[in-house]
Amino acid sequence: MSSLLEVRGLTKRYLGLTAVDGVTFDVERGSVVGLIGPNGSGKSTIVDCVSGFQPAHGGQWMLDGRALTGWPAHRIAGAGLTRTFQTVRAYDELSLLDNLCVATQESDGVGWLASLARTRRLRSTETAAAARARGLLATVGLAEYAGAPAAMLSYGQRKLLAIAAAMMARPRLVVLDEPVAGVNPTMVRRIEDVIHQFNAEGVTLIIVEHNVDFIMSLCGRVIVLEAGRKIADGPPSLIRNDPRVLAAYLGQSRATEISHERG
Amino acid sequence: MTRGWLGALGALLGVAVLFAIPRLTGNEYLLALGISFATFSVLSGGLNLVYGYTGLLSFAQVGFFGIGGYTAALLVTERAWSLWAGAVAGGVLAALVGLVIGYSSLRLSRHSFAIVSLSFALLCMIVARDWVSLTRGAMGIPGLPVPGLDLPGWRWRLSRPADFYYLLLGFAVMAQALFYVVVSSRLGRAMRAIKLNEPLAQSHGIDPLRYKLLAIALSAWLAGIAGGFFVFYLTIVDPSIFDFYYTETMLIMVIIGGPGSFWGVLGSSAVLAALPDLLRFTTDLRMVLYGAVLIAAMLIFPGGVGGWLDRRRLRRWRRPSLTTP
Repeated sequence: MSSLLEVRGLTKRYLGLTAVDGVTFDVERGSVVGLIGPNGSGKSTIVDCVSGFQPAHGGQWMLDGRALTGWPAHRIAGAGLTRTFQTVRAYDELSLLDNLCVATQESDGVGWLASLARTRRLRSTETAAAARARGLLATVGLAEYAGAPAAMLSYGQRKLLAIAAAMMARPRLVVLDEPVAGVNPTMVRRIEDVIHQFNAEGVTLIIVEHNVDFIMSLCGRVIVLEAGRKIADGPPSLIRNDPRVLAAYLGQSRATEISHERG
Repeated sequence: MTRGWLGALGALLGVAVLFAIPRLTGNEYLLALGISFATFSVLSGGLNLVYGYTGLLSFAQVGFFGIGGYTAALLVTERAWSLWAGAVAGGVLAALVGLVIGYSSLRLSRHSFAIVSLSFALLCMIVARDWVSLTRGAMGIPGLPVPGLDLPGWRWRLSRPADFYYLLLGFAVMAQALFYVVVSSRLGRAMRAIKLNEPLAQSHGIDPLRYKLLAIALSAWLAGIAGGFFVFYLTIVDPSIFDFYYTETMLIMVIIGGPGSFWGVLGSSAVLAALPDLLRFTTDLRMVLYGAVLIAAMLIFPGGVGGWLDRRRLRRWRRPSLTTP
């Protein structure tokens, strides 16, 4: 059986700078894969390219055997690859319930005319969407604010809302771009629990993070980037002792010391 | 649910009262104000759909209004079309033009759309003035005939102001109903999502371009029809139908009523429809006064009436969370 996501030779340049340089990796069905690397190593650029928010200059990627290369963002989302953003995003003036329901209305197959005429099919679809939205809000612990506008949420709560919204249309793969950056420790544990729960329900996740401890405890496999290239790929236990990873994060001399200490 | 029914009853009552006015009073000034309100409510309602809901600043509404006016006037006078057909054709042409300028500029950004819509409105006036063989230039097309509207079993000649009052009010009610159906449906929800956070909407599978073009085409279509009817009330169409002052009036109505607030903009259109006439005594100062009103509204009343109601709603949600430990 092939992988859920296959990325082959992804390349992205900004003017003269090659931000992502021929990166190739697979993501297995049902896994939680971490994507780490120092600042500017190309993590977010990979997310932006794969989700269709930035055009790539080279490479292909496939979801479930279907080529998504060159598709616009909304079609990639429709194909089952959704994402959250590093700068947390929400529809501030919409209620939490609408924040979630709007995220599934393009994929439920009810057209514009049926939506305007409020056909029975539309109403039953929307009722089902609202029920799913309430369930997701309960999972992320925001059920009591279902009718409140998103503007009233705290920063951490908005991150939870964004994750729930990305889950709304039953995607096959969800990419979380820095889900715990700038979030307090209690909320980090909460987000970790939520990710575990969604993964247990069968969602495959890619998590981009600076918080290495968070990644190491959550992901079965970690991909490490440096300067736009993949330098390591494997389970956390191997990544932790990989000399190239230590060098990327700590500098060559300190990395050599550590590997000597550890024998 | 009860609140919804009460609202519907209130709206119905309001429409009934508006329709009864010509029977209660023969005051032509009041009817003129009513016609101005009906026409402007269609224009500002369309601008609200495009700007208030979808987040696209547009100066093109007046262009669609004038295109509808010219098309209807020319088809009726030159081709002997009926006013119905002429006005609808004007609306269709306006919608097509809207799709063309929307599609070409929105592929770049929403800012380029604002610039293109402004250039388009200015271009309309130049074309109306200088393409003399088609539009008859600066003199326009005066003396538009008294139109007849053939309805099944009834021939209606629109000879009195009251006739135009009924026509434009009836059309405005239908246009507002259409706007309301759109903005209160989940299409309106998607439009608001695009305005509030376009990348997030894309990540949720929404194609912003489709919704933006829908908003532009619908508002252009209705503005075009309104223009077609309105010029026959004036009995003349000339380049001044593209006057920037219409744009300014629409913008004030939307900004004071609250962008993205259906009832707020409708209410402010009713109040402000009297404004052009009240300021008739000072044509030169009018623009300055409008600017002053806009700046004052932005400072004192950001988000307009609708924004004020939103802030109250938010405060109501925040209050209990303050008391929890």
